[in-house]
Amino acid sequence: MAIADGVRLPASVRDEIVAHAREAGGVECCGLVAGRDGAATRVIRCANVAATPAVRYRIDPREQLAAFRAMDGAGEQLFAIYHSHPATTPYPSSTDRAEAFYPDAAYILVSLRAGAPEMRAFRISSDPPGSEKTVREVALSAG
Amino acid sequence: MPVTVRLPGALRDAVGGDNKVSADGRTLGEIFADIERRHPGFRERVLDENGRLRTYVNVYIGEADARQSGGLDAPVPADAEVMVIPAMAGGWR
Ligand SMILES: [Zn+2]
Repeated sequence: MAIADGVRLPASVRDEIVAHAREAGGVECCGLVAGRDGAATRVIRCANVAATPAVRYRIDPREQLAAFRAMDGAGEQLFAIYHSHPATTPYPSSTDRAEAFYPDAAYILVSLRAGAPEMRAFRISSDPPGSEKTVREVALSAG
Repeated sequence: MPVTVRLPGALRDAVGGDNKVSADGRTLGEIFADIERRHPGFRERVLDENGRLRTYVNVYIGEADARQSGGLDAPVPADAEVMVIPAMAGGWR
Protein backbone atom coordinates (compact mmCIF):
# COMPACT_ATOMS: atom_id res chain seq x y z
CA MET A 1 0.00 0.00 0.00
CA ALA A 2 1.40 3.37 -0.96
CA ILE A 3 1.12 5.97 1.74
CA ALA A 4 0.90 9.68 1.20
CA ASP A 5 4.23 11.34 0.74
CA GLY A 6 4.32 13.62 3.76
CA VAL A 7 4.24 12.21 7.28
CA ARG A 8 1.67 13.57 9.67
CA LEU A 9 1.74 12.42 13.28
CA PRO A 10 -0.81 13.02 16.01
CA ALA A 11 0.82 15.04 18.80
CA SER A 12 0.45 12.02 21.07
CA VAL A 13 2.56 9.90 18.74
CA ARG A 14 5.27 12.54 18.39
CA ASP A 15 5.34 13.08 22.17
CA GLU A 16 5.58 9.35 22.81
CA ILE A 17 8.56 8.97 20.46
CA VAL A 18 10.33 11.90 22.14
CA ALA A 19 9.55 10.48 25.59
CA HIS A 20 10.99 7.11 24.55
CA ALA A 21 14.16 8.79 23.26
CA ARG A 22 14.58 10.77 26.49
CA GLU A 23 14.07 7.69 28.67
CA ALA A 24 16.63 5.77 26.62
CA GLY A 25 19.18 8.47 27.37
CA GLY A 26 22.54 7.67 25.81
CA VAL A 27 21.39 4.62 23.90
CA GLU A 28 19.34 4.50 20.71
CA CYS A 29 15.67 3.80 21.28
CA CYS A 30 13.59 2.16 18.56
CA GLY A 31 10.06 1.17 17.77
CA LEU A 32 7.20 1.24 15.33
CA VAL A 33 4.29 3.50 14.52
CA ALA A 34 1.13 1.67 13.56
CA GLY A 35 -1.32 3.24 11.14
CA ARG A 36 -4.78 2.78 9.76
CA ASP A 37 -5.87 3.89 6.28
CA GLY A 38 -2.62 5.77 5.88
CA ALA A 39 -2.90 7.68 9.16
CA ALA A 40 -0.60 7.12 12.14
CA THR A 41 -2.44 5.69 15.13
CA ARG A 42 -0.06 4.66 17.90
CA VAL A 43 3.49 3.93 18.98
CA ILE A 44 4.71 0.40 19.66
CA ARG A 45 7.92 0.68 21.68
CA CYS A 46 10.43 -2.06 21.03
CA ALA A 47 13.60 -3.23 22.73
CA ASN A 48 16.93 -2.38 21.13
CA VAL A 49 18.83 -5.69 21.12
CA ALA A 50 21.92 -4.41 19.28
CA ALA A 51 25.19 -5.44 20.94
CA THR A 52 26.30 -1.80 21.09
CA PRO A 53 23.03 0.12 21.61
CA ALA A 54 24.76 3.47 22.08
CA VAL A 55 25.62 3.49 18.38
CA ARG A 56 23.36 0.88 16.79
CA TYR A 57 19.79 -0.28 16.94
CA ARG A 58 18.15 -3.58 16.19
CA ILE A 59 14.53 -4.15 17.06
CA ASP A 60 14.02 -7.42 18.90
CA PRO A 61 12.78 -9.78 16.13
CA ARG A 62 10.28 -11.43 18.51
CA GLU A 63 8.79 -8.02 19.20
CA GLN A 64 8.60 -7.38 15.45
CA LEU A 65 6.63 -10.61 15.05
CA ALA A 66 4.34 -9.68 17.94
CA ALA A 67 3.85 -6.17 16.56
CA PHE A 68 2.92 -7.44 13.09
CA ARG A 69 0.40 -9.83 14.66
CA ALA A 70 -1.03 -7.09 16.89
CA MET A 71 -1.36 -4.68 13.97
CA ASP A 72 -3.06 -7.38 11.88
CA GLY A 73 -5.48 -8.10 14.69
CA ALA A 74 -6.34 -4.42 15.03
CA GLY A 75 -6.70 -3.81 11.29
CA GLU A 76 -3.57 -1.65 11.31
CA GLN A 77 -0.52 -1.52 9.06
CA LEU A 78 3.09 -0.56 9.63
CA PHE A 79 3.24 3.22 9.23
CA ALA A 80 6.75 4.08 10.37
CA ILE A 81 9.92 2.79 12.03
CA TYR A 82 11.59 5.20 14.43
CA HIS A 83 14.89 5.37 16.24
CA SER A 84 16.92 7.96 18.08
CA HIS A 85 20.38 9.39 17.61
CA PRO A 86 21.37 10.47 21.12
CA ALA A 87 24.32 12.60 20.02
CA THR A 88 24.23 13.00 16.24
CA THR A 89 22.08 14.57 13.57
CA PRO A 90 18.66 13.00 12.84
CA TYR A 91 19.67 11.88 9.37
CA PRO A 92 19.98 8.22 8.23
CA SER A 93 23.58 7.02 8.50
CA SER A 94 25.06 4.74 5.85
CA THR A 95 24.28 1.76 8.11
CA ASP A 96 20.73 3.05 8.59
CA ARG A 97 20.39 3.08 4.80
CA ALA A 98 22.03 -0.30 4.24
CA GLU A 99 19.79 -1.97 6.84
CA ALA A 100 16.53 -0.35 5.71
CA PHE A 101 14.19 -2.97 4.26
CA TYR A 102 10.81 -1.28 4.54
CA PRO A 103 10.29 0.97 1.52
CA ASP A 104 6.59 1.44 2.32
CA ALA A 105 7.21 2.71 5.84
CA ALA A 106 8.51 6.11 6.87
CA TYR A 107 11.78 6.17 8.76
CA ILE A 108 11.51 8.66 11.60
CA LEU A 109 14.69 9.82 13.32
CA VAL A 110 14.81 11.86 16.50
CA SER A 111 17.91 13.51 17.92
CA LEU A 112 18.39 14.95 21.36
CA ARG A 113 21.87 16.31 20.66
CA ALA A 114 20.68 19.90 21.07
CA GLY A 115 18.52 19.26 24.13
CA ALA A 116 15.31 20.16 22.33
CA PRO A 117 14.21 17.19 20.21
CA GLU A 118 14.77 17.35 16.45
CA MET A 119 12.60 14.97 14.42
CA ARG A 120 12.79 14.26 10.70
CA ALA A 121 11.18 11.70 8.39
CA PHE A 122 12.55 9.86 5.37
CA ARG A 123 11.74 7.24 2.80
CA ILE A 124 14.52 4.76 2.14
CA SER A 125 14.21 2.52 -0.89
CA SER A 126 16.16 0.93 -3.69
CA ASP A 127 15.03 0.82 -7.29
CA PRO A 128 15.71 -1.64 -8.82
CA PRO A 129 15.46 -3.87 -5.74
CA GLY A 130 18.86 -4.72 -4.32
CA SER A 131 20.58 -1.66 -5.78
CA GLU A 132 22.04 1.23 -3.77
CA LYS A 133 19.50 2.73 -1.40
CA THR A 134 18.23 6.22 -1.88
CA VAL A 135 17.09 8.47 0.96
CA ARG A 136 14.41 11.06 0.43
CA GLU A 137 13.35 13.39 3.20
CA VAL A 138 9.61 13.95 3.45
CA ALA A 139 7.72 16.69 5.22
CA LEU A 140 6.92 15.84 8.83
CA SER A 141 4.15 17.55 10.70
CA ALA A 142 2.73 16.81 14.12
CA GLY A 143 -0.26 18.03 16.05
CA MET B 1 -2.46 -27.93 1.36
CA PRO B 2 -0.51 -24.76 0.67
CA VAL B 3 0.79 -22.67 3.52
CA THR B 4 0.67 -18.91 3.65
CA VAL B 5 3.99 -17.10 3.56
CA ARG B 6 3.94 -13.46 4.58
CA LEU B 7 6.66 -11.07 3.52
CA PRO B 8 6.48 -7.67 5.17
CA GLY B 9 8.77 -5.00 3.78
CA ALA B 10 10.98 -5.01 0.71
CA LEU B 11 10.82 -8.78 0.10
CA ARG B 12 7.46 -8.38 -1.59
CA ASP B 13 9.47 -7.08 -4.57
CA ALA B 14 10.91 -10.58 -4.87
CA VAL B 15 7.52 -12.27 -5.23
CA GLY B 16 5.77 -9.97 -7.66
CA GLY B 17 4.65 -7.20 -5.32
CA ASP B 18 2.33 -8.93 -2.86
CA ASN B 19 3.07 -9.18 0.87
CA LYS B 20 1.62 -12.68 0.89
CA VAL B 21 2.14 -15.80 -1.22
CA SER B 22 1.01 -19.38 -0.82
CA ALA B 23 3.48 -22.18 -1.27
CA ASP B 24 3.71 -25.95 -0.97
CA GLY B 25 6.23 -27.85 1.08
CA ARG B 26 6.78 -29.73 4.30
CA THR B 27 10.00 -27.97 5.26
CA LEU B 28 11.12 -24.38 5.03
CA GLY B 29 13.57 -25.37 2.28
CA GLU B 30 10.77 -26.91 0.21
CA ILE B 31 8.61 -23.85 0.73
CA PHE B 32 11.42 -21.55 -0.45
CA ALA B 33 12.12 -23.82 -3.45
CA ASP B 34 8.44 -23.66 -4.42
CA ILE B 35 8.45 -19.86 -4.25
CA GLU B 36 11.72 -19.77 -6.22
CA ARG B 37 10.12 -21.81 -9.04
CA ARG B 38 7.49 -19.13 -9.53
CA HIS B 39 9.62 -16.13 -8.58
CA PRO B 40 13.23 -16.75 -9.67
CA GLY B 41 15.64 -14.74 -7.54
CA PHE B 42 13.66 -15.10 -4.32
CA ARG B 43 16.08 -17.56 -2.72
CA GLU B 44 19.01 -15.23 -3.25
CA ARG B 45 17.19 -12.49 -1.38
CA VAL B 46 16.70 -14.62 1.73
CA LEU B 47 19.63 -17.05 1.64
CA ASP B 48 23.36 -16.35 1.51
CA GLU B 49 25.89 -18.07 -0.77
CA ASN B 50 26.14 -20.94 1.72
CA GLY B 51 22.38 -21.51 1.62
CA ARG B 52 21.83 -20.14 5.11
CA LEU B 53 19.27 -17.53 6.10
CA ARG B 54 20.71 -14.08 5.60
CA THR B 55 21.52 -12.31 8.84
CA TYR B 56 18.96 -9.58 8.26
CA VAL B 57 16.11 -12.02 7.70
CA ASN B 58 14.16 -13.66 10.51
CA VAL B 59 11.76 -16.48 9.74
CA TYR B 60 8.99 -17.67 12.01
CA ILE B 61 6.94 -20.79 11.44
CA GLY B 62 4.00 -20.07 13.67
CA GLU B 63 5.79 -19.03 16.86
CA ALA B 64 8.95 -21.03 16.15
CA ASP B 65 12.14 -19.25 15.11
CA ALA B 66 13.32 -21.18 12.05
CA ARG B 67 16.99 -20.64 12.99
CA GLN B 68 16.41 -22.58 16.19
CA SER B 69 14.25 -25.25 14.52
CA GLY B 70 16.62 -26.64 11.92
CA GLY B 71 16.93 -23.76 9.46
CA LEU B 72 15.84 -24.89 6.01
CA ASP B 73 15.08 -28.34 7.46
CA ALA B 74 12.56 -26.84 9.88
CA PRO B 75 9.22 -28.63 9.53
CA VAL B 76 6.27 -26.58 8.32
CA PRO B 77 2.86 -27.92 9.44
CA ALA B 78 0.09 -27.72 6.85
CA ASP B 79 -1.82 -25.05 8.76
CA ALA B 80 1.19 -22.94 9.66
CA GLU B 81 1.76 -19.35 8.74
CA VAL B 82 5.34 -18.58 7.75
CA MET B 83 6.56 -15.03 8.28
CA VAL B 84 9.76 -13.87 6.61
CA ILE B 85 10.61 -10.64 8.38
CA PRO B 86 13.48 -8.37 7.37
CA ALA B 87 15.35 -6.76 10.25
CA MET B 88 14.68 -3.26 11.47
CA ALA B 89 18.12 -2.04 12.31
CA GLY B 90 20.78 0.57 11.77
CA GLY B 91 23.81 2.25 13.20
CA TRP B 92 25.41 5.62 13.48
CA ARG B 93 28.07 5.48 10.73
ZN1 LIG C 1 20.41 5.83 12.91
